[in-house]
Amino acid sequence: MTEQIMSRKPGAPLKRNHLQEFIGQMDLQILVIPSIIHIIIFAYIPMYGILMAFQEFQLGDFPGLSEWVGFKHFGLLFNAPDFTRVLRNTVVISALKLVINFPIPIIFAILLNEIQGKRFKRSVQTISYLPHFISWVVGATLLFDFFAVDNGAVNSALVGLGFIERPIHFFGEGKLFWGMLVGTDLWKEVGWNSIIYIAAITSIDAEMYEAAEIDGAGRFAKMWHITVATIRPTIVLLFIFTVGGLLNANFDQIMLLTNQMQNAQLRSYADVIDTYVYRVGIRDTRFSYAAAAGLFKSIINFGLLLGANKVAAKFGEEAF
Amino acid sequence: MVRKKSMGDWIFNICNVLILLLMVVVTVYPFVNSAAISFNDANDTTRGGITFYPRVPTLRNYELIFKNPKIYNAYYITIMRTVVGTVTALLFTSMLAFGMAHSSLKGRRFYTILCLIPMYFGGGLIPFYFLIRSLGLMNTFWVYIIPGLVGIFNMIIMRTYFQGIPIAMEESARIDGANYLTVFWKIILPVSSPIIATIALFIGVGQWNAWFDAAMFVTKQPLKPMQTVLLSIISEARFAEAMAATSAGGRVDMGNIGKGIKVNVRSITMATMLVTIIPIIMTYPFLQRYFVKGIMIGSLKG
Repeated sequence: MTEQIMSRKPGAPLKRNHLQEFIGQMDLQILVIPSIIHIIIFAYIPMYGILMAFQEFQLGDFPGLSEWVGFKHFGLLFNAPDFTRVLRNTVVISALKLVINFPIPIIFAILLNEIQGKRFKRSVQTISYLPHFISWVVGATLLFDFFAVDNGAVNSALVGLGFIERPIHFFGEGKLFWGMLVGTDLWKEVGWNSIIYIAAITSIDAEMYEAAEIDGAGRFAKMWHITVATIRPTIVLLFIFTVGGLLNANFDQIMLLTNQMQNAQLRSYADVIDTYVYRVGIRDTRFSYAAAAGLFKSIINFGLLLGANKVAAKFGEEAF
Repeated sequence: MVRKKSMGDWIFNICNVLILLLMVVVTVYPFVNSAAISFNDANDTTRGGITFYPRVPTLRNYELIFKNPKIYNAYYITIMRTVVGTVTALLFTSMLAFGMAHSSLKGRRFYTILCLIPMYFGGGLIPFYFLIRSLGLMNTFWVYIIPGLVGIFNMIIMRTYFQGIPIAMEESARIDGANYLTVFWKIILPVSSPIIATIALFIGVGQWNAWFDAAMFVTKQPLKPMQTVLLSIISEARFAEAMAATSAGGRVDMGNIGKGIKVNVRSITMATMLVTIIPIIMTYPFLQRYFVKGIMIGSLKG
């Protein structure tokens, strides 16, 4: 942090009170205040609105002034059979993404580093970012077609090579859905998520590799003892951030790959807390109940973030 | 000093190149294939086997979707929300960042805490939904713009950048009697173009790609952006058929049935999809370095 640069000595220390100082720098305050008001409205009023999770909110009620029901909705939530499934899906999908989709960008960055040709390297990199910039709406359109039952590329190839006898309905079977989520997320984000590693690897001094070579290090020894060792702090840091944002990453992808949850067969495998809140709250208008589910997620998320930041601080890198 | 390449090195290199090539193909193929389908005759597409290029090239699929006024309207909405949303959000976010970069700012501690808490904890979807309702933003264009005016994460990135600008630049203008508004507008913004470009791109792509706000808060068809049109097409084939039918016009279609020319839902979907991403694909090669720069600034200094 380079905060000192902008800070200025408090000039001739005239004795002025806070209000006068505040008015004195009105031209500076006026730049900040509109945004601060915006944050209060759009971030803090919804926090107040959480009260409805403890109330029986009806359309037309003024939020926060409905009848109090205590923890009723939380009780309902934890006893609802579909919520158990939602929790299972949330945990499994997040865990799968952490275990599989976190290491692969690292491997990708290391493999890319081993490529000699500069042009090839750059082209692969540029192409790998591309899917990150399209929306999941477009992504779903592309992937539905790619995995289509009739004439989809994947099914045609698999049938053609004799691996399967008849086309698989990849986006129609619940059992396959977790795998599809992991795979499609990888397709979209692997290049983008590798950027930071690639940058960290670029900063490695070429002499390190040469020195290791003279000492007789083989290729894999160099990869492990130099490349991986150098980017290890980056890996730790990004792992912590990934854990902190674990529950937020799925909504768009799941909504769009399930046709907005219209496929009931997929739902038992695809429904996560975010989609459940949307489905139950906005579609079925059980507002208080859905708000309770949302609050439950916010609390877990808060815990994850706080824990992540604590661990990050231990490693000497605070998030903010 | 280059060591002679061993056999193992060769094998590794070849495998490595093959793995990366496979990845490139898997990444690019869906795009290429969709483009090929969108330029291929709809009837011919149903026979299957279209891979990298159209077999029976035609522009008919595009003609059909461009006959539909819905597309123009949705495109207009998407462009408007991207332009207006980016400019306004950039303004609000950078103003806040500029103020927060000054440790002389009164109440800075309070503002900082106010900004940090929402990064850890939020009210969730349902209270937000009712906030938008009670603000009267439902079914207005402004629901695309106003909630996103201030991005806290973007603000932190910009603040870090502003703090790196030599204080002397600001100081000399202040001595000449310029107020902070002038300093911000005339001195800080002009020297901050790299960060502004980066953040503008992040916001702009976000706006272009956004679909959920339209699904949640907007029911009026004329306000729906491109992403929603595409979404309706993929989620209900009937919508795609209707779109193709209305755009072709009943009489033309009658004539076509006789000739065996009909519109394939898949062709229409792919053409619409391509129209949706064309601006991103076209500008992407030029803009990607800004994104890379942005993520680096954000991750290393944030």
